[in-house]
Amino acid sequence: MSDSAISQRLGSGKTMLRSRPMGYFLAALCIIALPLIFNDTYWRTNLTICAINVLLALGLDFILGYTGQLNLGHSAFYGLGAYVSTLLIIKLGIPFWAAFVAGVAFAGLAGMFLSLFAVRLRGHYLAIASLGFAVIIYQILLNWISLTQGPLGIYGISPPPAIVVGGTVIADFRNLTAFFYLVSGFTLLVYLLLDQLVRSPVGETLTAIREDEVSAASLGINGAAWKVFAFGLGAAVAGAAGCFYASFVGTLVPDAFYVNEAFTILAMVIVGGMGTLIGPVFGAILLTLLPEILRGMGDLRLVVYGAALTFVVLFMPGGLVQAARMVQDKLRPGGRGS
Amino acid sequence: MTTTIVLQQAINGVVFGSLYVLVALGLTLIYGVLVQINFAHADFVTLGAFAAYFFMHLIGAGYILSIGVAFLVGAALGWLINASIFTPLRRKGNELLPLIATIGVSVMMQNLMLAWFGPIPYAFETQYSSQVIRFAGIFVSWQNIIIIAVSSVTIALLYAFMKFTFLGKALRAVSQDRETAGLMGINPNYLIMLTFVIASALAGMAGAMLAPVLVLTPFAGTSVIVKAFAIVIIGGFGNVEGTILAGLIVGLIESYTTQFLDPGLIDIVVFALLLLMLAIKPTGLIAERREENV
Repeated sequence: MSDSAISQRLGSGKTMLRSRPMGYFLAALCIIALPLIFNDTYWRTNLTICAINVLLALGLDFILGYTGQLNLGHSAFYGLGAYVSTLLIIKLGIPFWAAFVAGVAFAGLAGMFLSLFAVRLRGHYLAIASLGFAVIIYQILLNWISLTQGPLGIYGISPPPAIVVGGTVIADFRNLTAFFYLVSGFTLLVYLLLDQLVRSPVGETLTAIREDEVSAASLGINGAAWKVFAFGLGAAVAGAAGCFYASFVGTLVPDAFYVNEAFTILAMVIVGGMGTLIGPVFGAILLTLLPEILRGMGDLRLVVYGAALTFVVLFMPGGLVQAARMVQDKLRPGGRGS
Repeated sequence: MTTTIVLQQAINGVVFGSLYVLVALGLTLIYGVLVQINFAHADFVTLGAFAAYFFMHLIGAGYILSIGVAFLVGAALGWLINASIFTPLRRKGNELLPLIATIGVSVMMQNLMLAWFGPIPYAFETQYSSQVIRFAGIFVSWQNIIIIAVSSVTIALLYAFMKFTFLGKALRAVSQDRETAGLMGINPNYLIMLTFVIASALAGMAGAMLAPVLVLTPFAGTSVIVKAFAIVIIGGFGNVEGTILAGLIVGLIESYTTQFLDPGLIDIVVFALLLLMLAIKPTGLIAERREENV
């Protein structure tokens, strides 16, 4: 069975959750419950980082899993979102949410610009061009000192303004729990939108392009335009993650957006199962928490990322989703055979 | 004065350019035969450098011999990655999976080297680093002369191998059409293995020569590989002549950018060139001539 067939079969995630509204309800319940269960600063910080990584993985998965474009520069869009929104707030005094929209739009346009270059070529060209793009963005952030303060970084970035209705504070984002609800709520919303999109005719168009662009073109599908659109959307989601990251951590240094970050996000998508939306969610959660648990191992804990990436591709190309399905099939003999 | 600077930087550019050519040639050979990219190629450069360093400093062997050791270490790594990653994944027929798997290998190797060798740069000094020839106001170290000489001889040998020997011709046949070559009695699996061994040996060797002129850290190869990727695209994927030309151009761009602009701009200039190439002429510098030959 080819990998695309696996991911296609897994794509109809109906067996994972009995019904979608139920699944979203459970997810929302989890999001509400998590910070109440983990009530120390360390784990609440990790939870928010998890939510940001889930957002990044979803964006990359939409580009890689649904249109087959290997983007090795996802860190660049993440960094653009973070720096553009922060600089607009600090230098021009623009309100947070306006800067957020600008950061997202900028990252999305950058993604479309990059995709335009390589969209006519083989997958490898885009992989290298996007890697090069990530290197350029990193070097610009590092060397344009008058704007970004280079390696010294930007400090004291404030969190989003509190939501106040009629004089009462509803959500103060200096509070870790409120911030977690903000990011994970946004992530759930993005998931919902992407899920609707990939199950709509647009999703089928994208899958057709991924499987066979020439045949898709013969049906009147403009493959290049759709690929540019998908790349832009995925990059915009990464931009949103960047805006949240900057206001959450309060500090921006270029090293946070080095190319390694792109490989980390790639590992999350692959380990979870590319071409499904639920897979990268669990991939991101697993690969964010695993190194925290393995912190005692020092430098060796990053080896885990590399090993996970390699062994999943070699032995379980459908990732966690494929593993879950195999377990499910084992538990239900006489159920769906493959 | 300015002429001296221009000449001096030209020599520096050729030194780095010829090393980039060695690294990029490996990538382009593999791409030519298999239409695949080995992302861990960078770490073969680094590991070659460390092998040469430890061979010299622990055993006390000469520098030239340790270049040979790096060559062998690279060759072994090439055999290993082909057997463990590329051969099993070839059956799956997905063009991007091997690239993703080798990114994983690269992350693993880098962090293992970081754990073993530490982040502090090693001072890889050879007896040739300090011996300098002065000629008309230009300084050339013996180290640089060795780099240029060894690289040119290696590239010439590789070129002769590809052009004149039976194996070389078989290799070119496989890269043109693997199935037809198989029908002519050429074993493509053997030749793919051979390509990985040669390509990776070149990377290891480049590492041994690069480390004395650059810094030796677990990430030494990464700084080079990004440029090597750019060179491969600028020169035309799978094209040996184009790669050599593009490698020297990138080396010169780098040394002149350092001299006249700012060292921080090197990657930006190189990748602006890469994007420009993709937009204008994605087949690379020399590909057109090749198409006429067909």
